[in-house]
Amino acid sequence: MKFINKLFLFLLVNTIVFANDYDYKLTPTKVAEDTYVFIGKKEFFNVKNGGDISNTAFIVTKDGVIVIDTGSSFKYGEQMISEIKKITDKPIVKVINTHHHPDHFLGNNAFKDADILATEYTRNDISTNGDMYIENLLNLTFKWMKHTEVKAPNKTLEPLKNKYIKLGKHKLKIIYLKGHTSSDIALYDEYTKTLFASDLIFYNRVAATPHANIKQWIKALEELRAVDYKVLVPGHGPISKEKEPFDQMKRYLVYLDKTLEDSANEGLTVFEILQLEKPEEFKNLSMITDEFERSVINLFPKYENNLMK
Amino acid sequence: MKKSFSAFVKLLFTSLLLSQFALAKDPLNSPVWSDTIKEMIGNDKFIFDDKNIKINVPAFADNPLQVPIYIDASKIKDAKKLLVFADLNAIVKVADFDLQNMKPVLSLNIKVAQGTPLRAVVQDSSGLWHVGSANINSFGGGCSVPSGASNMENYEDLLGKTKSKVWKKKDFYRIKWSIFHPMETGLFVGNPSFYISDINITSNKKNIGKINLYGSVSENPRIIFETKSGNGSYDLSIKDTDGNEFELSTKI
Repeated sequence: MKFINKLFLFLLVNTIVFANDYDYKLTPTKVAEDTYVFIGKKEFFNVKNGGDISNTAFIVTKDGVIVIDTGSSFKYGEQMISEIKKITDKPIVKVINTHHHPDHFLGNNAFKDADILATEYTRNDISTNGDMYIENLLNLTFKWMKHTEVKAPNKTLEPLKNKYIKLGKHKLKIIYLKGHTSSDIALYDEYTKTLFASDLIFYNRVAATPHANIKQWIKALEELRAVDYKVLVPGHGPISKEKEPFDQMKRYLVYLDKTLEDSANEGLTVFEILQLEKPEEFKNLSMITDEFERSVINLFPKYENNLMK
Repeated sequence: MKKSFSAFVKLLFTSLLLSQFALAKDPLNSPVWSDTIKEMIGNDKFIFDDKNIKINVPAFADNPLQVPIYIDASKIKDAKKLLVFADLNAIVKVADFDLQNMKPVLSLNIKVAQGTPLRAVVQDSSGLWHVGSANINSFGGGCSVPSGASNMENYEDLLGKTKSKVWKKKDFYRIKWSIFHPMETGLFVGNPSFYISDINITSNKKNIGKINLYGSVSENPRIIFETKSGNGSYDLSIKDTDGNEFELSTKI
């Protein structure tokens, strides 16, 4: 018994002293030829995960490495780079920020020499609100944010409209969409038939909607679903070879849209909406309580405005 | 004999302890509670009454500029006044509601400078105040959506623009309304305080309630009132601290 106590104390002290070496323990998962993904946790930002909640990816080509999204901090970006270096000695030549949310671009300042590309809208939002995102994440993850600074993309994706990013055998189509934010980039590698759907797809994890337009988002899903992919890399949640992530995402958005519209019609309060029984299918999805509450608080005023005279 | 005496003492002691708790113990242990409540209601008598006052706040208030709150004290049948305040807020007072024929119900969005207790304090016809409490968890300050109303291009045209709708619920009417107004706190240098301060509610030309708001209410306020009075047709006359007056008529 005493031994158990001592062991417990020892473990406790250990956890306190050594708990945080700020290692995300990133491990790349190979999802297609030359193509790797760091799968994030299906959680919200917290001190334990350090903001490792979204998927980031890279493709190794003979002309260099292309990185898709850079995670939530300088440390994340730095640790991505060191994992990439274990796989290839090719330089990182291009970095894409799919949209302006902090878990997708705050690792940018770890990438010293590569071009960083995003749409003009995304670039502007990063320049304008970047510091605010850092401050928010500092509150949520503390020291994980050390050395994180805003590094806005230095190039825009607009000149590449209807063109491809070609690197080695890989030919990446840039798909301009909106709905999750006012500008979401999906990428389709025609060589490996891999679709990087960015945050237009949250799979088995409830979507975050702080800048969403639900109706546009549903439209974007319909367009993107038609892509002939073999592998789907969602912005959050596991890799899939099926269409189900699209269908689940759409079912949730339709449910959210309809709930908000019906609730506006019935004159409900935000809290009455939160107390409504949720469909069985969504009850067990990660983050359902938190994200649903956030979505209702953020989005409901728009639905009310449309209704009130 | 001895046994029953000790039981009596125990009972007395427990009841004393309980009443002490009921009378004086802030359920949220706010460090400024005793000063704040004095500021709000002077030396009037109050009891903690979370049982009869329902306060809804978000589990976590992501956006400190727009924190929705919903207060329902309908269980206090003879409610006369409803005071809403946030102990630790830069602007403590939220609303001061002279209920008249209105239900002791209020929903609006507030700004929080940090996490804070929120209080809904209801005075009954005997003069006793019932205190309801809830905790708002927020990082405050760090605003995830910057305040924008007064920077908008067509601000002058939009100022005071209202929207509304009335619903018939079981045995009462719910009035939802919103108004375009910056609700400046006056805490930012260069932006003097400028907010909607007085709202008079009438139904068929009869006064049925009056509410004072403060700079802690979010910009472009969205407000819910409830009343059993009238037949679903209401007029609001709204004044701000600059003396602007706005009228709103709404009906089911």
